[in-house]
Amino acid sequence: MKTARVGGQTAKQAILSRLKEHAVAGDTAYPAYSHPHTGQGDLRQAFKGVLESVGGECWLAGDRAGAREMLAASGLMSPPGQFCSYVEDIAPGNFDAEAAADVRECRDVRVAVLKGEIGVAENGAVWVDATRLRHRGLLFLAESLVLVVDGNAIVPDMESAYARIDFGPVRSGYFISGPSKTADIEQCLVIGAHGARSLVVIVIG
Amino acid sequence: MKSHAVLAAGFLKDAGRARWHDEALWYVREKRDRLVRSVPGWEELRDTAHAIKRHALANLSSYLEEFERNAAARGAVVHYAADAGEHNRMILDILRARGARLLAKSKSMLTEECGLNDFLESNGVEVVETDLGERIIQFARERPSHIVMPAIHKKKEEVGEIFHRHLGTAAGESDPTALTRAARVHLREKFLAAPAGLSGVNFAVAETGAIIICTNEGNADLVTSLPDVHIAVMGVEKLIPRSRDLSVFLRLLARSATGQPVTAYTSHLLGPRPGQEMHIVIVDNGRSDILKSARFHRAAFCLRCAACLNTCPVFRRSGGHTYNYVIPGPIGTILAPHRDLKKYKDMPFASSLCGSCSAVCPVKIDIHRQIVLWRNEIVEAGYLGRVKSAVLKTATAVMRNARIFTAAGALGRRALRLAPRFFYNNRLTIWGKTRDLPQLPARSFRSQYKAYRKTGKAGESRD
Repeated sequence: MKTARVGGQTAKQAILSRLKEHAVAGDTAYPAYSHPHTGQGDLRQAFKGVLESVGGECWLAGDRAGAREMLAASGLMSPPGQFCSYVEDIAPGNFDAEAAADVRECRDVRVAVLKGEIGVAENGAVWVDATRLRHRGLLFLAESLVLVVDGNAIVPDMESAYARIDFGPVRSGYFISGPSKTADIEQCLVIGAHGARSLVVIVIG
Repeated sequence: MKSHAVLAAGFLKDAGRARWHDEALWYVREKRDRLVRSVPGWEELRDTAHAIKRHALANLSSYLEEFERNAAARGAVVHYAADAGEHNRMILDILRARGARLLAKSKSMLTEECGLNDFLESNGVEVVETDLGERIIQFARERPSHIVMPAIHKKKEEVGEIFHRHLGTAAGESDPTALTRAARVHLREKFLAAPAGLSGVNFAVAETGAIIICTNEGNADLVTSLPDVHIAVMGVEKLIPRSRDLSVFLRLLARSATGQPVTAYTSHLLGPRPGQEMHIVIVDNGRSDILKSARFHRAAFCLRCAACLNTCPVFRRSGGHTYNYVIPGPIGTILAPHRDLKKYKDMPFASSLCGSCSAVCPVKIDIHRQIVLWRNEIVEAGYLGRVKSAVLKTATAVMRNARIFTAAGALGRRALRLAPRFFYNNRLTIWGKTRDLPQLPARSFRSQYKAYRKTGKAGESRD
């Protein structure tokens, strides 16, 4: 196991022993809990509603062929530009991020298309497991992001989402809810801060 | 150092700006309320968050060791820093060992607390804040006035002026979209050029060794995924036991902070990306002292959401720069005295004790009660001003004795009728500067009550 080079073991031991002198009182047992987010009705519609309220787009497609047609018709991936796709049957790409030696080579990608594992109805977030990507930075460098989610993978709330994630093999994973945004200037919402300037989630089935 | 009251008087001189600031924050508070109402069982969720924090902090040393084991197994290097100085030197050493002279940084209140930027700059490292609000105030050479919206005190025209000077945007350009685009182009180059990136940490999960970072702009994600070295800094209190607990905290955090259902990005990092070095610096810097305090340890439950700032009538009407501690508002008020009771003795008095902070706190910290207790400590320590001390001593003597109290009441009612404004609006009683007394009753409650018992009729309370 690697340990600290500076500060080192002495700092660690001193801090840990000081923390043992805490004065936290009352019932300090780990609580049993469950807080389902109920009453959202149809989960796909609820997900779509929340995602659109945070600046994202949500397309409900009947099947993969339908999704492919919607994407083609949207013009989102019309040339020119670099399109990086990890979902080739829906979105054919022309840029292979896996072949790029350095993440910075992804700087001009116009659209990145990836699989989303889970959609969360209560907050419009999509869980993207980036473990298998050679460059996780692609998710944030791409001008637009398209996430493809199975309709059956839409869950009501964060509690159900975490229940589905096995962190064992995960090296990095992201909940992404809408495009990047900021309100740092006078509370005025601006879509497209540093990450993707637009986000489309295609829900299949 | 000027006191909060003096600085607030300065802030309030520009009435238009003061109102604008108040309204901007109240707007966020209202957004929070709308989002909170949409979540069934919000109060139970807060209770659970409180219980998880209580459990985690009572077992912190073992959770830290569990976290370190798991993070190290995934390839991260874990460091411990006892204080701000150690934290700063560690980061400089990591950067120097890799010859990094440019650091891209996402938002971290811990580094503000430690004074990292000044330290690195004076040691020849260029630090680039990449959160838009942080970049604005870094250009302006100010400190954040708010822990989530650091440049909330700046008008868009002022931001335009700053960007014109530093980024060459057109003179007079003040459109937030145009300014944000300019910052995007400018900072994209920095992300791509920086050999090292530094981020804060919102949560650290013991059972997996994961660190979780929540942002809207996506800057933390570029800072953590592009450079070849990623340094994450966190206070010891960020530890939570299980991944599942994230569901509780993430459902509370963004709704409480900015009135969003969740932040745009919630990043879970379990070790470095391939080819990258990842350092996690775990900092005490006084946190173990807070946890040792029977009265005040709950201040360490804080998630830094800033809901208490947005709702606070004093914060909204005085602005973050009127608080001398790096963290302003109600939560800053109960953290600052741990650092230096004498230096920050004015802060616990910058409160109306209305309790709104405690009512919105997602982890149910009893903030306003702690503020009262800190006033206690300040009196005990003898740090109260002479005038206030004398007034309180007199009031105590009067209120302790029923006869003196009755006599004083009668005297007061008469005196105030004869010369009302003099008594509460002279140079000594600053209370009257912005307040007026209600009309006084002719008779005390006590004599009215006596009369009522005798006659069975409520007597006239006024002349």
